[in-house]
Amino acid sequence: MIEARGITKRYGPLTAVEDVSFKVGKGTILGFIGPNGAGKTTTMRVLTGYLPASSGDAIVAGFDVFQQPMEVKRRVGYLPEAPPLYPELTVGDYLSFVAEIREVPARQRLQRIGAVMERVGLTGWERRILGSLSKGYRQRVGLAQALVHDPPVLILDEPTSGLDPAQNVGIRELIGRIGGDRTVILSTHILAEVEATCSEVVVINRGRIAAAGSLDQVRTRATGGVRYRVELRGSDVARAVGALEQVRQVEPSEVPDGFTRLRVHAPADPRPAIAALAARSGWQLRSMEREVPGLEEAFLSIVGREDPAQAAAT
Amino acid sequence: MRSTWAILRKELRIYFVSPLAYVFLAVFLFLAGVFFYLGITLTGEASLRVMLGNLSITLLFLLPMLTMRHFAEEQRSGTFELLTTAPVPLWAMILGKWLASLVLCAVMLAGTLVFTAVLAYYGDPDWGVVAASYLALLLCSAAFCAAGLFASSLTRDQVAAGLAGIIILLPFWLIGQAAALTDSETLALVLERAAFLTHLRSFTRGVIDTADLFYFVGFIFVFLFLTYRTLESRRWR
Repeated sequence: MIEARGITKRYGPLTAVEDVSFKVGKGTILGFIGPNGAGKTTTMRVLTGYLPASSGDAIVAGFDVFQQPMEVKRRVGYLPEAPPLYPELTVGDYLSFVAEIREVPARQRLQRIGAVMERVGLTGWERRILGSLSKGYRQRVGLAQALVHDPPVLILDEPTSGLDPAQNVGIRELIGRIGGDRTVILSTHILAEVEATCSEVVVINRGRIAAAGSLDQVRTRATGGVRYRVELRGSDVARAVGALEQVRQVEPSEVPDGFTRLRVHAPADPRPAIAALAARSGWQLRSMEREVPGLEEAFLSIVGREDPAQAAAT
Repeated sequence: MRSTWAILRKELRIYFVSPLAYVFLAVFLFLAGVFFYLGITLTGEASLRVMLGNLSITLLFLLPMLTMRHFAEEQRSGTFELLTTAPVPLWAMILGKWLASLVLCAVMLAGTLVFTAVLAYYGDPDWGVVAASYLALLLCSAAFCAAGLFASSLTRDQVAAGLAGIIILLPFWLIGQAAALTDSETLALVLERAAFLTHLRSFTRGVIDTADLFYFVGFIFVFLFLTYRTLESRRWR
């Protein structure tokens, strides 16, 4: 449904994104994550036809963004980072203007606007002036605006930025609901959002793609996959566990009360073997658990922890 | 064409839901009243010559203030992104905004018909001259709006856009006088031909000359085209 092929965008000497390629299948919700300034917005603007790329090309909804921009624009709903509202207009006037420029046929316009307002929870708000709305409601109007022509592709640039936690959950649920068979790209730097709504992720860092794939693939690839945490008391436990056939790698660390905590990397579950070993050697075994690395950890290992000195300088 | 119509209506709605349109109407009609009064009392003629003449320079200062928000504000607030990611061709956007300003100008000019009515009641004006003068004012307005839109496309700052509009227009008003100061005949001719006043002259005598019409149409076309090019090139930066 969406295919970016080697998109590069330069602003004068500055390269905002370089050689960005990825594919998003129909009905997928893709999380586009990366630190601030990584090139998320630039990439999305290229995909919507707002910015021309310096090189590369992109196919959205079956049309080339650069050759047939109008066809692409007809099929994409786009919510920029700040919802593009006219503060003077009412919600109803604004949505009917957007419906008109998005080519919703005149006869269906009222019905479409009603449906989309209900969907984002704006029913009864037609006559409110946009300038008087709170941030959460502006965001809802922004989403309504992106959905009013029922587009097969939805591009949302940080849809939850600046919202309070309750609004965040609301918008997130909304995105899950409006997804359906639409293809959605959603950029964010809030990882919980991606874990809650997306099935696939693309990690972008310094203008380049750092990782891409399903949520599980990215997590596993970045962190070495599933690990097991074992706490034991005994002598030389790390070496003995490390010698087990199933075990690939062991990272030991001391716990203050005399136990040793081991982080065990193994392709298959090593816990029965470790339990048997503990019983044979007369060790005390306190706990064993399976650890699935979070996206947060994967993200940090991909983009690297920010150098504090550099962070202070910027 | 449909999107031009949508944009035209949106712009008019924004004009009329904010105090903007009313402030412009009030200022314009007040000044028109002053010029009308002075024109009648000072010349003792039953004509609108003084009023209509002064209104054209008033429009030169007023209209860039009316058009300054168009592209400057859309770019500053991010709504330009909404328009450019919708299937709206750039020319439709420009045309819609230009026509919306022109409609407001027409409303302002229609307001001054009150004075024409007063004149018709008490005197016997030359209707040919009145009609031609109104056409001249409308053409002036259309030209000033086009230049104002161009100024608005240059910056995100509304006030700067307004001032830029006046700065662009003012030379076209003044170069007519400059023609008298130069020795070179060719230069004098060029300056004379480029000036607004030269092309307004025959209208005030009730004569509609196609050369003058071409001047205004050309002026409008050039500035709308420049607006197009500016907005188009902005995407590449």
